[in-house]
Amino acid sequence: MPPAASAPAAALLCGEVRTHLLPVHQALDIRTAAQFLGLRADERVLLSERPNLYARSPDTLTGVDCPLPTADGARTRAVGTVAARAALTEGRVLQSSAHVTLPAAGPDRRRPWGEYLVRPGVAEPVGKLPPDAVADGVLGGGRPGDLDLGAIADGLLTRLLRHPLIDHRPPLRSRPTRLRWAALPAAPDEEPSLEFTLAEDHLRTVRLRVPEGTPAAEVAGLCDDLALHDWLLTTVVRLFDGIRPDTPAVLAALRPAVDHLLHLWMPRARVTGDLAPLWDELETRPGFTRQWETLVRRIRDQLALHAIPSPHREAELTP
Amino acid sequence: MTGAVFRETAADPRTQAVPLSHLSLEIGHLYLEDFEAGPAQLRRHFAQVRPWAEAARATAAAGPDGRRPRISTCFLVDDYFTRFSSPAELVPMLLAEADRAGLVIDYLARESSCAVTGGTPVAEAVAGRIVESPPPGSYGPRPPAAETGWLANGERSPVARAPQAMQRAAAWQPPAETAARRHSVFLDAELWSEDPGGRRLWSCPFLAAVWQLARLGLLRAAGEPVLVPRAHTGGPFPDDWDDLPALIRLNPRADPFAAYRTCSVLPSRFLPVEHAVRVILDQTEVDRAALDQVADRSARERTPVPASVADRISYVFYAGP
Repeated sequence: MPPAASAPAAALLCGEVRTHLLPVHQALDIRTAAQFLGLRADERVLLSERPNLYARSPDTLTGVDCPLPTADGARTRAVGTVAARAALTEGRVLQSSAHVTLPAAGPDRRRPWGEYLVRPGVAEPVGKLPPDAVADGVLGGGRPGDLDLGAIADGLLTRLLRHPLIDHRPPLRSRPTRLRWAALPAAPDEEPSLEFTLAEDHLRTVRLRVPEGTPAAEVAGLCDDLALHDWLLTTVVRLFDGIRPDTPAVLAALRPAVDHLLHLWMPRARVTGDLAPLWDELETRPGFTRQWETLVRRIRDQLALHAIPSPHREAELTP
Repeated sequence: MTGAVFRETAADPRTQAVPLSHLSLEIGHLYLEDFEAGPAQLRRHFAQVRPWAEAARATAAAGPDGRRPRISTCFLVDDYFTRFSSPAELVPMLLAEADRAGLVIDYLARESSCAVTGGTPVAEAVAGRIVESPPPGSYGPRPPAAETGWLANGERSPVARAPQAMQRAAAWQPPAETAARRHSVFLDAELWSEDPGGRRLWSCPFLAAVWQLARLGLLRAAGEPVLVPRAHTGGPFPDDWDDLPALIRLNPRADPFAAYRTCSVLPSRFLPVEHAVRVILDQTEVDRAALDQVADRSARERTPVPASVADRISYVFYAGP
């Protein structure tokens, strides 16, 4: 049977994204980005210049044969491959993400390895998959030895940050964020839905219901986009931490945001048809773009205030 | 209704397809020692191959619709590990000896082209596609595939640390084949070695695995086919191997070089090498678009192809050195 035809319907898609400021002084241009993300000698880096500069590495696979995390502690073994890729937005924000498609059921024993490799990014359960328990397990984090998508995303990030193009001179302070997601197929009469949770320690979780048959790569694309914009909000909010508005330190703290971050806001830049409406929900509540616009105004106001010499301060300086 | 279409070619990569036969039949693999043994050795080889080549043809002919199967033959000459003779001397002799046994060599390839072809680092690209078979318990964090230059079909025996004085040495633990049926046949293959300057010398099994992928039409570089046959223009063959195309079509009426399946007729001394080839192919993720193209075409021709790439290759090992 041809491999394309034998691909089973997904009962659960899940993934994890790391979002990181690329630690370089100068943002990479599109050609350098292609060089940076060339994980494979024989496969192109995907490059796109509209509506913003975006480069994405080819997928790399990691073989797994381990228990899946489950909320109720039930043991379900899965065998197959996890797909991981890295993306760079405007040569400045690096994301590494890992995702896997889990079918509803698999054979009772492990097959020859070559049969898994012709269906990249799919891990088959040995026996039946409890999709809801595994979705909860993935979002909540598993026990040691359970499938660890975050470790796979981390491994790719570590590999990329060793690249000679990286000078480890970031222009501003920031912390990486982690976003875990799990997508279950929506029932035929059910609308796609999304539940975004800010957890502690820079962890975010996203639980989705997506139209049946939605490819994992599309959901991963949506979650990369959510992670990117959540990271931008988190990073810019933190820039205001601990600075007094009436001191020149404001300039030093906020100027890099103008140079490196403010032009990156572009929700849904590469989110495809069926999933795009899910973003709209987040725009209504909590209002990602509303918060961003407020932050941008605040930064501009601060910079404008400091550009005008304060008569009050002049009076103070005059003896 | 109005519609606007915006497209970026760099954001929408294409993969070129290659023509495909039903079977790629390899009728020999020539090394220096075979050449040094003289034309009589080649004559014996082709005489041994002949009946098996016919058997392979007969098996392929039993297709579903009774149509003539497309079969191409190929021959590989080593110019990578040792350089010997010249195309001008060797190729006419090879063709004459094959002809004497009633065999036709459709395509001739140089082994070095499995390492690098026209500036494309083919072997390095394939090495970057190795996805090691995970032993049970592999949950994610793993060292990048094949960083050591070795690839096994299971878990290696744990390395015993140098025992300190007075400390009892750790008990030996056996290696384990991941797909073992009760007992293991463990194989650990060296993919490359490095010279003091850090230059990689690819191993014979690794280049043979690349050769199999080329014959299966599954090699691409940035979407372009690798090892595309060039027609022989009819003149004399060059004096230097580098002047001979990487893959040359000697028979103008030959069926396509690449095929759904391969069969190689080789002397039995190649058995360990070819076992390693299977272990490598079983852990190589080939170009997905190329794989889909083969799947689509074979489905349309009602010629089922095994899902696993390693299952698409077969061998006949004849007795002899």
